[in-house]
Amino acid sequence: MAFISSGYDPKNPMKDRITDIGPKHYEQFLPPVIKKNFGKWLYHEILEPGILMHKAESGDEVYTIRVGTPRIMSVSTIREVCDIADKYCKGHVRWTTRNNLEFMVDSKDLVEPLKQDLTSRKHTGGSYKFPIGGTGACMTNIIHTQGWVHCHTAATDASGTVKSVMDDLFDEFQHMRLPAQLRVSMACCVNMCGAVHCSDIGFVGYHRKPPIIDHYHLDNLCEIPLAVAACPTAAIRPVKVDLPDGKKVNSVAVKNERCMFCGNCYTMCPAMPLSDGSGGDGLIIMVGGKVSNRISDPKFSKVVVAFIPNEPPRWPTLTKTIRQIIDAYSKDAHKYERLGEWAERIGWERFFEKTGLEFSWHLIDDFRDPAYNTWRQSTNFKF
Amino acid sequence: MAKHETPLLDELEKGPWPSFVSDIKREAASRAKNEKNVEFQIPAEVCEDLLGVVELSYHEGETHWKHGGIVGVFGYGGGVIGRYCDQPQQFPGVAHFHTMRVNQPSGLYYSTDFLRQLCDLWEFRGSGMTNMHGSTGDIVLLGTTTPQLEEVFHELTHKFETDLGGSGSNLRTPSCCLGMSRCEFACYDTQAICHEFTNVYQDFLHRPAFPYKFKFKFDGCPNCCVASIARSDLSFIGLWRDNIRIDQEAVKAYIGGEIPPNGGAHADRDWGKFDIQKEIIDLCPTKCMWMEGDTLKINDKECNHCMHCINAMPRALRIGEDRGCALLLGAKAPILDGAQMGTLIVPFIKVEPPYDPIHELIEKIFDFWMEEGKNRERVGETMKRFGLAKYLEIMDLKPDPRMIKEPRANPYIFWKEEEVPGGWDRKIEDYRSRHQM
Amino acid sequence: MDEAAARQAIIDGMQAKKGKSKFYFKDLNSMIPEMKTLQVKKLLGQMVNDQILEYWSSGSTTFYGLKGAGKQHSGEGEE
Repeated sequence: MAFISSGYDPKNPMKDRITDIGPKHYEQFLPPVIKKNFGKWLYHEILEPGILMHKAESGDEVYTIRVGTPRIMSVSTIREVCDIADKYCKGHVRWTTRNNLEFMVDSKDLVEPLKQDLTSRKHTGGSYKFPIGGTGACMTNIIHTQGWVHCHTAATDASGTVKSVMDDLFDEFQHMRLPAQLRVSMACCVNMCGAVHCSDIGFVGYHRKPPIIDHYHLDNLCEIPLAVAACPTAAIRPVKVDLPDGKKVNSVAVKNERCMFCGNCYTMCPAMPLSDGSGGDGLIIMVGGKVSNRISDPKFSKVVVAFIPNEPPRWPTLTKTIRQIIDAYSKDAHKYERLGEWAERIGWERFFEKTGLEFSWHLIDDFRDPAYNTWRQSTNFKF
Repeated sequence: MAKHETPLLDELEKGPWPSFVSDIKREAASRAKNEKNVEFQIPAEVCEDLLGVVELSYHEGETHWKHGGIVGVFGYGGGVIGRYCDQPQQFPGVAHFHTMRVNQPSGLYYSTDFLRQLCDLWEFRGSGMTNMHGSTGDIVLLGTTTPQLEEVFHELTHKFETDLGGSGSNLRTPSCCLGMSRCEFACYDTQAICHEFTNVYQDFLHRPAFPYKFKFKFDGCPNCCVASIARSDLSFIGLWRDNIRIDQEAVKAYIGGEIPPNGGAHADRDWGKFDIQKEIIDLCPTKCMWMEGDTLKINDKECNHCMHCINAMPRALRIGEDRGCALLLGAKAPILDGAQMGTLIVPFIKVEPPYDPIHELIEKIFDFWMEEGKNRERVGETMKRFGLAKYLEIMDLKPDPRMIKEPRANPYIFWKEEEVPGGWDRKIEDYRSRHQM
Repeated sequence: MDEAAARQAIIDGMQAKKGKSKFYFKDLNSMIPEMKTLQVKKLLGQMVNDQILEYWSSGSTTFYGLKGAGKQHSGEGEE
C-alpha cells in the first residue's frame, strides 16, 4: 500500500490551504421539480405508508418514497442508492433528519416501479436494504448514536439494539395505525448525543459502576488535574498511592457515591475505564417526550424503566418492554394523542398499571433542584 | 472466508430491518475483492477488523474504543474525533479509527455525482463506512488513520468545495429542516439562513473560543422536525402572526370524508368518520375555532399557532402570510444540571437577508457568553445563572409576557436603586426627625 | 500590549502551571486581560498556525496546549 499524496505537503501545511468554505450550496443539489416549485407548495398527502405526494401551486406533483436506513452506510450501499436515484430520480436523492432516505420522482407512473425496485433489494442475510415506511401515525426510524461500533463511553451497542427493536416493531414502521407518530431514539450513554431526552420513547445505555482506577498507568497516561476537572460532580480528587511493589505513585481517588457514570473522566484519562460487561452496564427506558408544539408544549422524556440488562445480540428484554409500552399506548390513547399526552391524561399511576411496568424508588427524581417539581403536591390522583 | 468469526453479529443479519452487519460485511467483501484495484490508503481489512472488534464487544459487553484528542487537521479545533482500538494487535485494521465530520448541504439533498465522488474518496482514504448522518447533521466519515486526515481534508476542500463540520468547544455544524424546498408549512427559508450562517460563522465553527459547544438549528414551523427547541442553543422556529388562510370548500370536503384528515396519516386503522368538532375544534389548545353552519371560523388573535388544525387539514388551512420566526435560547441534553428546552427570547423576527438584526443579537449572545460563561457551561446555563430578566437586559431585549409561562410566585424582586424614587441613600437624621429611638 | 508580548504572556502563563498542559480558552483569555476576547481568539489561532500551540479535543470540549506538551501524545500513540 503505497502512500498517495493528495497534494498536501506536511512540511508546509499552509501552502495552498483552503479553509473556512463551509458546505456546498444546497441549490445545486435540488431535484428540478423541487427547485422549480421552491416555496410554492400547496399541500401534501400520504398515499400509502412511506409514500408522500406534494402538490405545488403550479400543479406540479412530487412523489416521495421514504425508506429507513440503519444510519451506518457503506459506500457500496450509497453507490447502490445512486444507481437507483439515477434510474428514477434524475440523479437526486435526500436524507431526512431521522436517517431515512427519500427518493423523489415527478411522475406518478414512476412510483410503482420504484417501489417494486426498492422492496426487491435485500442484503445477503435477508434483511431489506430499503424498507418503505416511516410516515404518518407510525413508529418512525430510530435515531441513534455510535455504540460499540465507534464510541469509547458506550454502555451498550446502538446499532444492535436499534436493529433488534426495529425488527420487532417493523410492522409499526410500515403501518400508520398508532394514535399519533411515535418518535423513538437511542443513546449509548447518559451524555445523550441526539434528542433522546425529548422522544416518545428513548432507550439509553447506562453504566452503573464507577470507573476502575488503573494506578499503574494513570500518572504516565493522564494529567491528573484534567481528570479531576473532568468530573461534573467533583467526585475525583488527586491522591498518592502505594503500589504493591512498594512504589509510590500519583493517582486519583473517586468518591463512588457521587459518581453519575457519565464517563467524562475516561474521555480525559484512558486509565479510568468504566465499561462493565459483568452485569453493571445495561439500559434505561424513557418515555413521553416530544419536540413538536402541536396541541401541547414540547416535553422531556421521563425514566420509566430503571434498568434493563445488556443481552446481545438481540436484547430480548429491551424489545419486549418497548413493545409492552407501545401496545398499551396504541390500545388506550386517543387519535392524535402523543405518548406523553396520553400518560399525562390518564396519570402516571395509571400508566404504570396499563403498561405493566414496575414502579420503584429509582424512578423518583432526586437529582438537584427540579426534582421537587416532579413530586405530587395535590390529592388529585387515582386509585 | 471472513477474517473473524462473528456468530453473535450474524444474528443481527436476520429480520427485516436493514442490517448494519450485512452492510459492513458487504464493504468488507468489496474491499477484499477490490475489483477496481483501488490503492487503499488504510488497511484493506479495516471492515473485517471492525466486525471483529464489535463481535468482541458483543461477547464481553464492553466497548473497545479509546478517545484521542490530538488528532485533527492543521489549524482547526474541531471536525475530527480521534478513536483508537484497545486491541490493536488483534484488530490492526482499526488500530486508528478516526471520524471526520463533513459539513452537510442544507436540507440533505444530494446529486449522485457528488455522492459517488465522496464514496470514491472514502473507499480510497478511509474505511468505506459512513453515517448518513450524525446526530448534529454532518456527513460522518467513519474510520481512518492519522496520516489520512490531512489528505481527506485537502481533497474535500480542493475537489469537493466542502469543509469539515464542528466539534468540541466550537459552533457546531448548523442544521435545518427541508423548509420551503418541499414543505407547505415552512414560514421562512430554513436552508438559506442555515447555509448563510454556516458561512458567516466559519471562524467560530473551526477555532474554539466558546466555553462549550453552541448549536444553531432552524425549524420552519412549530412542528420542529429538527428538534431545535430541544437541542439547539439558539433555536429558530418559523411562525406567522396574521391569519390562517382557510379554503372553506376544502373544509367541507374534509367534513364530507372526501379528503382524509392529516394527509392520510391515520389510514391503517379505522378511527371512524372524521369529526371536525372532536378532532379539530375540541383539540384546539386555545379553543379559538368554531363552526357557523358549514363554515369554519377561527379567531386568529387567540391562535397560538400550535399547528394541529393545519397538520390535520393541510388542504383547507394554510399558514398566514406575515411570516418570520421566534428565537429560543438555551436548549440542551440533561448532562449536567438537567435538560433544558429553549426559552423564548424573541417572540417574532423577520427572517430576511442579510439578517442584520439577527446577527446583531447573535453577536451579543456570543460576546456575553465568552466573557461570562464558565468553562463547559452551555449558554442556557449561563442564562439560568443570571436569570432571564437580567439576561434580557444584557441582550437589550424588551421583557414580554410571551417569554414566561407565568409570573413569579414570590415577591422577592431585586429592585434596582434607580427604579425607586430618591434612591437608596437615606439619612438617619431625617428618619429620626419623625421617629424616636 | 503588542502582539509579541501577548504571545509571550500566553507561553509564560502556560509554562507556569506545573503538571497541566491543557487550557480552556477562558484560562488563556485571562492571561492577557488587556486584549479583547475576539483579538485573543485570533492570536491563539495564529499561534496554532505558527505551530506554537495545538488543540486537544475531548469531542465536546476543546483545549489549547503548547505543541507537544503533556502526556497525551504518548498515551494516544501519536509519537
